[in-house]
Amino acid sequence: MKITIRDAGEAKVVEVEGDVDLGTSPDLRRALFESLLNSPKLAVNLAAIRYIDSSGIATLIEVLKDSQLRNKEFVLFALSPAVQQVFRLTHVIRIFQVFQTEEEALGSV
Amino acid sequence: MSKPSAARCLHLKIVMPSNPLYLPVVRGAISPLAAAMGWGESDCRAITLALDEALANVIRHAYHNRADGLIELECHESADGLEITLLDKGDAPDKSKICARALACDEPGGRGTHIIKDVMDTVSYQATPAGNRFVATKRLRKAT
Repeated sequence: MKITIRDAGEAKVVEVEGDVDLGTSPDLRRALFESLLNSPKLAVNLAAIRYIDSSGIATLIEVLKDSQLRNKEFVLFALSPAVQQVFRLTHVIRIFQVFQTEEEALGSV
Repeated sequence: MSKPSAARCLHLKIVMPSNPLYLPVVRGAISPLAAAMGWGESDCRAITLALDEALANVIRHAYHNRADGLIELECHESADGLEITLLDKGDAPDKSKICARALACDEPGGRGTHIIKDVMDTVSYQATPAGNRFVATKRLRKAT
């Protein structure tokens, strides 16, 4: 799994690439929590995720809950087919703010 | 499940340490196997996910994230589908916690066993003298 973080105005965009599973989700968790501390808004690009399991989904929910506690925004965009399928199976699509593109995700403030 | 014909009776066996580093290896094996048996891309992804979740549960709950346990995985191709068996010698699963949390709740954990149940046609967890035995089957529905 590869994680790239960049600034986009006041927000941070996190690009996640590869497999998110029991072995790699702690790294994603760490990166997202650190980024959330330093920005009012986090937008996560899930287009290049080849695989995500329930530990990856749990990580995203944990970060979302933390963002709500801190009054910050946490949004997802460009869900890959693998991510969409797991979101459907786990019924979590209603929990998150999901956008098609980065522009839409960043314009949602 | 019914007996396979001689022409199609693939039997895959993998013995792996209870280390998440090896999960991609198993995923890399099961997905092409499911494709070869006739499932489409979405089903292959779902079967791979269900097996990965079952293995992750063994690593987390039977071996408590210790990497020195052993997990035996067997995949049998039958005449009508796939049977997946996992055997481990860790702590027995707490059946009261399997699918205990509703999917509708917003808590982070507890979704893995729901995924397995939704994807596979039958799922069973047994404590046996040889260890904890997980068996899941999925029938291949032929297009009519």
